[in-house]
Amino acid sequence: MKLQELIKNNFQQKGTQPERAKELSEQAFAEFEKLGLPTTKHEEWRYTNLKKIDEKDFQINVRSESVNTFFESLPIKNIAANKLVFVNGNFSIELSDIIEKDKSIIISNIFSAREKHEELFYKHFGKYAKSEGIALNAMNTALMNDGAFIFIPENKTPEYPVIILCISDSSQANVFYQPRNLIVISKNSSLKLVEGYYSKGNNVSFSNNVTEVYAGENATLDHYKIQQESGESYQNNFTQIIQESNTNINHVTLTLDGTMVRNNLHFNLNGENCNSLLYGLYVTDKKNHVDNHTRVDHSKPNCFSNELYKGILKDQSTAVFNGKIFVHKDAQKTNAYQRNQNILLSDEATINTKPQLEIFADDVKCTHGATVGQLDEEPMFYLRSRGIPENEARKMLLNAFADAIAEEIKIPELVAIIEEEINHKL
Amino acid sequence: MLSIKNLKAKIGENEILHGINLEVKPGEIHAIMGPNGAGKSTLSSVLAGREDYTVTEGEVMFNGKNLLDMAPEDRAREGLFLAFQYPVEIPGVSTTNFLKTAINEKRKYHGLEPMEATDFLKMMRAKMEFVEMDKSLTSRSLNEGFSGGEKKRNEIFQMAMLEPKLAILDETDSGLDIDALRLVSEGVNRLRSKENAFIVITHYQRLLDYIIPDFVHVLYKGKIVKSGDKELAKELEVKGYDWIKTEVENESVKSV
Repeated sequence: MKLQELIKNNFQQKGTQPERAKELSEQAFAEFEKLGLPTTKHEEWRYTNLKKIDEKDFQINVRSESVNTFFESLPIKNIAANKLVFVNGNFSIELSDIIEKDKSIIISNIFSAREKHEELFYKHFGKYAKSEGIALNAMNTALMNDGAFIFIPENKTPEYPVIILCISDSSQANVFYQPRNLIVISKNSSLKLVEGYYSKGNNVSFSNNVTEVYAGENATLDHYKIQQESGESYQNNFTQIIQESNTNINHVTLTLDGTMVRNNLHFNLNGENCNSLLYGLYVTDKKNHVDNHTRVDHSKPNCFSNELYKGILKDQSTAVFNGKIFVHKDAQKTNAYQRNQNILLSDEATINTKPQLEIFADDVKCTHGATVGQLDEEPMFYLRSRGIPENEARKMLLNAFADAIAEEIKIPELVAIIEEEINHKL
Repeated sequence: MLSIKNLKAKIGENEILHGINLEVKPGEIHAIMGPNGAGKSTLSSVLAGREDYTVTEGEVMFNGKNLLDMAPEDRAREGLFLAFQYPVEIPGVSTTNFLKTAINEKRKYHGLEPMEATDFLKMMRAKMEFVEMDKSLTSRSLNEGFSGGEKKRNEIFQMAMLEPKLAILDETDSGLDIDALRLVSEGVNRLRSKENAFIVITHYQRLLDYIIPDFVHVLYKGKIVKSGDKELAKELEVKGYDWIKTEVENESVKSV
């Protein structure tokens, strides 16, 4: 109950905010009070227990001393890109860097966008990631921290990708914060977007993220999420993506570290001829826990979605995959595929996987499936018979299994960084 | 080079090799022929160190070292090479990276420095030409999407790269058309020297028109029942395996 108290106290002591923002946050707060934090009795939270987080003493709005050295040590910062950097949910002007020349493309922190682009902001904000019935979204909307606001006007493609870097700094105290991102890609436009999550410090951190993405007609989005928080760190991440007709979205979620990571990735295919690709990779060790809940709603005809999540589990780690595909009544000629493949490297590691298909249309092609196992013996023997030692052979095969997901990323410098990280982790 | 004495091996509870004896010296090519189920592939698997098989009796010495005590990777690094009957496809592992690792692991084992990248590429280019292998194959994942012939040619290419002392070709001719068969055989013939040796396992005599063996052995029911020179292979081609079977059955009746 500690977290709920913390939210309540901070909500009541909250300073003045714009009228429209205030209204939205009050509604959300009431919803959060009504729902409370989900427990393992909740079907969607059966395998991920928030109790551990709820028992901790967190502080909100912890200013960070300095993360400059840490920031400099992140390989991702060397990629030529627009960078928005946030530390404990606060925007860092110093570390951020917008290199895009076209000023009609808005790449900014969400708090200043709320003032500068008021109409545009409220046209989209809170419209996609609903608070109703989802406690952690309500909690975020009630007491959100800063985050990214990206607006691509019609017929534009930014010259550089946008990287949103979220750094948790728990060197002073246990920190809790709630980033909020809003991404709008207008008609005929495209964007390459990277979200990177990192942490430093010896205390505990918990971030509750909400990202809303709207892709207008004929838009293209490459969206990569890289989660690599070390130490004792907890993260809940909710992403809602709305696709209008003829949109192409390629999404990759890579979870390479973190004590407990829960991802909720929702796609709503709201127009015809959409393509949605959902890729995921989790490499877990120690007693860490990764939970990927995905949901794809096929609402209109003639769309294609393909989902592939892979996991490598070591030590006593646990993982959850729950993928839902809904093919609604009008969504004829839907092609929807879903796979989850896991390699368990330890007898003590656990995976709970549940691919789920619900089809209400009659002219569709859908498949789903999950596998759990060890590395195949034949390739192992083949490599060893050429003089490659067992450990090295195993590593080669695991790298190949994992790199197949990393290679879905269309920024070559980033693929190189990620493959290095994966290799280091295996 | 290789000395097999009274080798017995089983898979599960089934004994498949019932006491094999074979001596292979440097510069020699031995052909092992036999009907299906005779134990030909078991013999190559046991020599390469496949863990599904248990050796119950006998010994195998390879250049003075006990082969059966070694892990599969150490056998390879000591100079043993198995060209697989069914090379496995390994998505995500590039042929180039795989070979570089294999060669450098072997060098490390023998106390040598890793090969310079340029030397490695030079060597690769030369050996690829040697087996007439398409350049594009090496940038692809190992055997992935390769045709049957391409896979076998890749085995010979790897053999050329790894320069083994003893190469075992496990039914390398199966599933090959006549052109591929010629290419694979030419590869073997050009690799042949006074220092190395080959064991060619085959069901048909056809391959032995291209790779001329010094010795031909017939494996039947887990034992070498007949040995001879290349003429034996021709005899088998004409008469089939039935006369050998009859001969063996008669022998066993006599000994009873």
